[in-house]
Amino acid sequence: MFLTRSEYDRGVNTFSPEGRLFQVEYAIEAIKLGTTAIGIRTNEGVILAVEKRVSSSLLVADSIEKILEIDSHVACAMSGHTADSRTMIEHARVEAQSHTFTYDEPIPVESVTQAVCDLALRFGEAADGQESTMSRPFGVALLIAGVDEKGPQLYHTDPSGTFWRYEAKAIGAGSEGAQTELQEKYHKDISMLDAELLALKVLKQVMEEKLSNTNVQLAKVTQENGYQIYTKEELQEVISRM
Amino acid sequence: MNFAEMHQPEFAQAPATERHSHGRWEPYVDNGGTSLAIAGSDYVVVASDARQSNGYIINSRYSPKAFQLTNNVILATSGYAADAKRLVEVLEQNSQMYFHKHEKPMSTTATAQMLSNTLYGRRFFPYYVFPILAGLDTEGRGAVFAYDPVGNMERVVYRAFGSAAALVQPFLDSAVGFKNQRNADATRLLDREQALKIAIDAFTGAAERDIHTGDWLDIYIVDGNGVQHQKRELKHD
Amino acid sequence: MKLRAELAIKCATHESQTESRNHSIMQYNGSAIVAMVGKNCVAIAADKRLGQQALTVDMDFEKVFRMTDRTFIGLSGLAADVKTVHDTLRMRVNLYKHREERVIEPKTMAHLVSHMLYERRFGPYYIEPIIAGLDKDNKPYICATDLIGCLSLPEDFVVTGTASDNLFGMCESLWEPELEPEDLFETISQALLNAVDRDAMSGWGAVVHIITPDGVITRDIKGRMD
Repeated sequence: MFLTRSEYDRGVNTFSPEGRLFQVEYAIEAIKLGTTAIGIRTNEGVILAVEKRVSSSLLVADSIEKILEIDSHVACAMSGHTADSRTMIEHARVEAQSHTFTYDEPIPVESVTQAVCDLALRFGEAADGQESTMSRPFGVALLIAGVDEKGPQLYHTDPSGTFWRYEAKAIGAGSEGAQTELQEKYHKDISMLDAELLALKVLKQVMEEKLSNTNVQLAKVTQENGYQIYTKEELQEVISRM
Repeated sequence: MNFAEMHQPEFAQAPATERHSHGRWEPYVDNGGTSLAIAGSDYVVVASDARQSNGYIINSRYSPKAFQLTNNVILATSGYAADAKRLVEVLEQNSQMYFHKHEKPMSTTATAQMLSNTLYGRRFFPYYVFPILAGLDTEGRGAVFAYDPVGNMERVVYRAFGSAAALVQPFLDSAVGFKNQRNADATRLLDREQALKIAIDAFTGAAERDIHTGDWLDIYIVDGNGVQHQKRELKHD
Repeated sequence: MKLRAELAIKCATHESQTESRNHSIMQYNGSAIVAMVGKNCVAIAADKRLGQQALTVDMDFEKVFRMTDRTFIGLSGLAADVKTVHDTLRMRVNLYKHREERVIEPKTMAHLVSHMLYERRFGPYYIEPIIAGLDKDNKPYICATDLIGCLSLPEDFVVTGTASDNLFGMCESLWEPELEPEDLFETISQALLNAVDRDAMSGWGAVVHIITPDGVITRDIKGRMD
């Protein structure tokens, strides 16, 4: 596959004669090396679940954070080059706070997603009037979960700056298998309790290590309580139901 | 051009009617006029007179100072008409941008907060405008927001601003706020017909005594069905 | 109007300085007085505050005076002149009684006051009086003058004091013709209380006099004490 590629994959702002942006495509490939992250939307809220690769017993598992809060009603799970997500999350947080400051209301989930995607394409040379933050595309994909007046929503963004809305979505190394599994098990009326179970079950299937309360992270965003990350005990409770 | 012409002192070219002492340019003019708003349980009444004056001169007998922004939001102004006009343009622009960005109309409370920020953004060269923003909140109740020129915002049930504010506000305290009435329920909200009548009465009185208020009365009534506008006559003298 | 923030940059001319000095004298102590015509009756009411600008020094200051059985005068403006003019006027009213052997009519008193004030045309008393009373035919009489005695004789109501704008707004919307004494009391009280509540310089309770052919009813009203 890569043999067919030519010199056109060097510049981030050069199309190939077939009309492709190779650097962006490579960035999307980078996601497939990342840990698996899963999002499931229900009528009550959204579940986010991520796998943590605890590569050494000396590694403090708690120091790996792959689900982050953007605002009290929006959270985000990531896969790929997670360091790249810092910039994007920071941007999303600023955008959310700025919206509340300006309009005295929580930012709509789609608007945060759009804001993040706007940033995703701001690589290469700076456009007139704005400064470029990155010299290459971000190598990270996000699952943005949130609730607003339109109800619970789940969005997936990728390095091309595109976003899609999903009922359930898996990203990362195990995404193919996980997505198939979600496709089979997801139904519109799934409850939050079932969704958190499903998320962990699917994650368990695609994980190399044995799933435990240290190598996964679980979070939910609900209409009532907004963003909540599961404590070790809460996580253990869900695992014990599996 | 001869020498004498070339060396005319500068003030020779100034207009014959110099209004300001020392000929200094004034960035602000008070164009008079009065605006009020009364909130109800499911409606809001906004009223503004349409006279625009400068001192004893009437610039216009029908120059509206209440404006319908996006759906269901009314901005009633007083103070400097040019600043009010620009403020409305800025608000309308922001509101349209919001609509396209977030795919929904800006709510009354969002507009209220945005207006406060817009005003404070000009903290050191303010819009000389005393705005009253009125619409329905997300629960469908009447909402009135009153501001000072630099953006201090207050949500109120009723408010009058402008050249006859001193005449109208105490009357609203009595008729809408039931102030100084021992047996009255101060939290009671008026029904729409009462509120409309009080608004008209207030302006009839104001037009009688305040020379900057009069000519025509613009009334907006916002409710669940949308915005209704009517124009009534006030004293022309 | 006077409450509005003044954002325009003012060029201080000599004229405007003089004007603002006079202005501040009239605003120095604070007051709100109103008189209204009813059906065969008149009412006159005033607040009780005496201040030195923002500082309240007395909450029971008299500014409406009973000059005859059925003629009252309300004096707003500088408290020192309120006292002086009241004393002088009392003297003049008493002299009138002795010389004429009859009680002065409200209309006559109005012209007496007007002359007293115009005498000081170029060094005026800083007061704006209003007069309310019933004449010998029980006809209601009200009038107001400015600080140099220019009379104005409306047939409905007169107002004076720092809350005059507020009172105008209240009276313009509350007053109606042919009010009976009790209704007139209610109207004038509401007008005064709501007016002083929006004026920082006046308030702290009020006194109302209803003048009827049968006598005078005087009531103290408690309002907002702030």
